[in-house]
Amino acid sequence: MTPVWSGWLAGSLLGLLTIALYWFANKQLGISTVYGYACQVLPGAGSFRSEEFRRNNRWRLWFGLGIPVGALLASSGDGVSFTTGMGLYEQALPEHPVVRGLVLLCAGTLMGLGARLAGGCTSGHVISGVPLMNRPSVLAGALFFVGGTVAVQVLFRVSQV
Amino acid sequence: MRFFYLAFGIGFGFLLSRGGATNFDFYVQLFLFQDLQLLWMISAAVAVGLIGVMLLKHSGAHSLVGRQPIDFQGRPYRSGLILGAFLFGIGWGLAGACPGSVLAMLGEGKLAVLPTLAGLVLGTWLYGLSPIVRKFSN
Repeated sequence: MTPVWSGWLAGSLLGLLTIALYWFANKQLGISTVYGYACQVLPGAGSFRSEEFRRNNRWRLWFGLGIPVGALLASSGDGVSFTTGMGLYEQALPEHPVVRGLVLLCAGTLMGLGARLAGGCTSGHVISGVPLMNRPSVLAGALFFVGGTVAVQVLFRVSQV
Repeated sequence: MRFFYLAFGIGFGFLLSRGGATNFDFYVQLFLFQDLQLLWMISAAVAVGLIGVMLLKHSGAHSLVGRQPIDFQGRPYRSGLILGAFLFGIGWGLAGACPGSVLAMLGEGKLAVLPTLAGLVLGTWLYGLSPIVRKFSN
């Protein structure tokens, strides 16, 4: 098991990281735009191939590549182990692996599309946007939580029936 | 510069993991209001961020790289924000991962995030594909 620190400690350090990124490079921490890079290999994604997109988001590619490495370092105490489990979600999501995969594919699609429509995700709008006291970010953050609560409450109630 | 951003990513992934954001159960417990670990993590990040932004603003600090004035302009409101943020939340709750933690979970070998990851690319692509969607959000 990966050790878990108190939310206050891990969160405070995440806040410091966000501020450090502002200070060092004048960049607003945010990850969801990086998925536009993967779209470059798909047809019809012209806006993600533009020079402007690449120039503005190249840093996110390196930032995004670092994330799995950091998580691996955090959990490597017991070596790398591949798992397919989903913990408490096992009780609520469909058991059949293909059906479950489709549900998760839809969930990911909602996040990808939703983040672009909203102009940011949990990191861009909440962790770096709310400290600016930016009203659209506060609204987006609140609605992220409303959507998540609706989804999980419905999912776990329906699965109990 | 690229190694510098890579280092920031490594720090971010490490802290997401230590904060519990790579644990599916914390998402369920957050949205069932049983264990607010992730809410405390996000709140602490925002609180420290608020103080940090205030200090940076008042000190008039310039960015260490490039010596630019730091841009504190927030992301603008757009007409797709309300619908998009709600849809994002639905996906967040269903998948038990967000666009950042999904990459961290992958690094920990949690293969259940693979369809979620494919969906993130698909959803981003759908947005870029559709002029109607783009028009709606501008």
